[in-house]
Amino acid sequence: MSAQDLAFYYLSFAMILSGLFTVFSRNPVHAVLSLLVLIVHQAFMLYLLGSEFLSAIQIIVYAGAVVVLFLFVVYLINLQKEARFRVFVRRFSLGLIFFILFGFLFVKYFVLIFSMSTGLRTLLPIDPTSSQALKMMARYLFTEYLFQFELIGVILLVVVFGTVFLLRKVKEERVG
Amino acid sequence: MSDIIAQIPYPLLVFIVAFILLNLTLLHVAYLTYAERKIIARMQQRLGPNRVGPRGLLQPIADVLKLLQKEDIIPNNVDKSVFKIAPLISLVCAGTGVSLIPLWEKFVLSNLNVGLLFILALSSLSAYGVILSGWASNSRYALLGGLRSSAQVISYEIAMSLALLSVVLMAGSFNLQDIVKAQVASPFKVYLIPQVVAFFVFMVCALAETNRVPFDLPEAETELVAGYFVEYSGIRFALFYLAEYFGMVVMSALAVTCFLGGYAGPFEVPGLPFIWFLLKLYVLLFFYIWVRATLPRYRYDQLMGLGWKVLIPLALANLFVTAFLKLYL
Repeated sequence: MSAQDLAFYYLSFAMILSGLFTVFSRNPVHAVLSLLVLIVHQAFMLYLLGSEFLSAIQIIVYAGAVVVLFLFVVYLINLQKEARFRVFVRRFSLGLIFFILFGFLFVKYFVLIFSMSTGLRTLLPIDPTSSQALKMMARYLFTEYLFQFELIGVILLVVVFGTVFLLRKVKEERVG
Repeated sequence: MSDIIAQIPYPLLVFIVAFILLNLTLLHVAYLTYAERKIIARMQQRLGPNRVGPRGLLQPIADVLKLLQKEDIIPNNVDKSVFKIAPLISLVCAGTGVSLIPLWEKFVLSNLNVGLLFILALSSLSAYGVILSGWASNSRYALLGGLRSSAQVISYEIAMSLALLSVVLMAGSFNLQDIVKAQVASPFKVYLIPQVVAFFVFMVCALAETNRVPFDLPEAETELVAGYFVEYSGIRFALFYLAEYFGMVVMSALAVTCFLGGYAGPFEVPGLPFIWFLLKLYVLLFFYIWVRATLPRYRYDQLMGLGWKVLIPLALANLFVTAFLKLYL
C-alpha cells in the first residue's frame, strides 16, 4: 500500500466518522465542529485527487464562511432545552421510509459510478491535475457555462433579498 | 555538502527544512514581542524591559519559561475539549502560512499553484480559534469577544481578498513565486506603485485580521477585560499570544511578497540570499508596532462602517480599474 492509498483510507475513515459525529452529537456546537472536521478532510481529499483550486475554495467557502455562520446561529439561539431531548423525531416509520429512499439512491449511484469508474476522468472537460486546470476552468465558467454561472448568482441574490424582506415584515409586525 | 543533502530521503528532508523554518519563525516571533515592548517604550519615553540579560535581550525567553511554569487553570463549567483545542487551532492556522511564502528564488517550502488562496483559507480558519475559545470559556466577556472577532474577521476578509485579487490580475497567477517573478519583470519592479490603493486596503485589513490596534476590539481590555482569552492562563494563554504574532509575521510576509517585490532587491548581496526579504519584513513589522503606539481604538460601529462602506468599495473600484487597464493597455 502506497502512502497515497494510506492517506486516502485515513481521510475516508475520518470523513465517515466525523459525519456520524455530526449527526449523532447531542451538543449543537460539537455537531458543527464535527462538520468542520469533515469539510477540512474533504478539502485534503480534493487536494490528494490533484485539484488544488477546489480544495482551497472548499476551505474558504465552506469552512471559512458557511460553518462560521452556522456557529453564529448556534451561539445566538439558546438550545439548552433541545439538547436534553432524547430523540428529535419519534416516528420510526418516517425514518425507515427516508432510509430506504436514500439508501436506494445511494446504491443506484454507487453502482453507476463504479460501472464507469475507469472512464470517469475522460468525461471531464479538463484534466484537474494539470497546471493549466485553473485557467481552463475559468474559461469554461465564463464562456460555455456563463449563463448557468450567472443564474446561480441571481438565485443567491434572491435568497438574500427574500431573507431581508421576511425579517423586515416580522420586525414591522412586532413594532406595529 | 550537496552530496549529503542528496542522500537524505525526500520526506525527511522536507520535515527537517520545515522544522528549521518553524524554529526560525518562532525566534522571530519571540523577538518581535521584545521589539514591540522596546519600541513602544521608546515612543512613550519609557525604558522598556532592561533587567533580564544585556539590554533586556533575554526577556522573551524568561517570559516563556515563566508561562510554562504557571498552573494550567481550567475553569469549572467550560467545555473541556473545545477549550483545550481552541488555542491550537489559532496557532496552527496562523503558523502554517509561513510554509507557502517564497523566501528566496530557490527556497519555498511548498510551491503551490494556488498558494495565495491557501493563505486566505488559513486566515479564514484562524477565526475558529477565537470563536471557539469565546464559546467554550462559558464567560460573558469571552463570548462577546468571540462574537465581535468573528464578525470582524469575516467582514475584513472580503476586502483583503479583493485587494489581493488585483495583484493576482496583474501577475496572472495565484502562485506566490510567479507573483514575485512577474513583479520583477514589471516596469516599476514592485506592485506597490501601481497598486498603492490595494496595498493600503491590504495593510488595514491585515491589522483587522490579526486583531491588532486600532482594531483590537475582540480583546479590548478596557471594556472586555481581555476578550476571548480571559479564562486562559499559563501556556494556553501564551499560545494565543503566539498566534497573534505569527499572524503578524505571515501577513507582513504576504505583503512583502505581493506588493514589495518579495526576495528581489536592487542588487545581490553575496552570501545573504534572504537579506532583502527580511529587511522588507522588518520594515512592515515596525509599521505594525508604530501603529499600535500611535492610534486609538475604533468604536465597533465605526469598525464595521469602515470595513463595509470604505474598504470594500475601494478594493472593488481598484479591482475594476486594474481589470480595465489590463484589458486595454
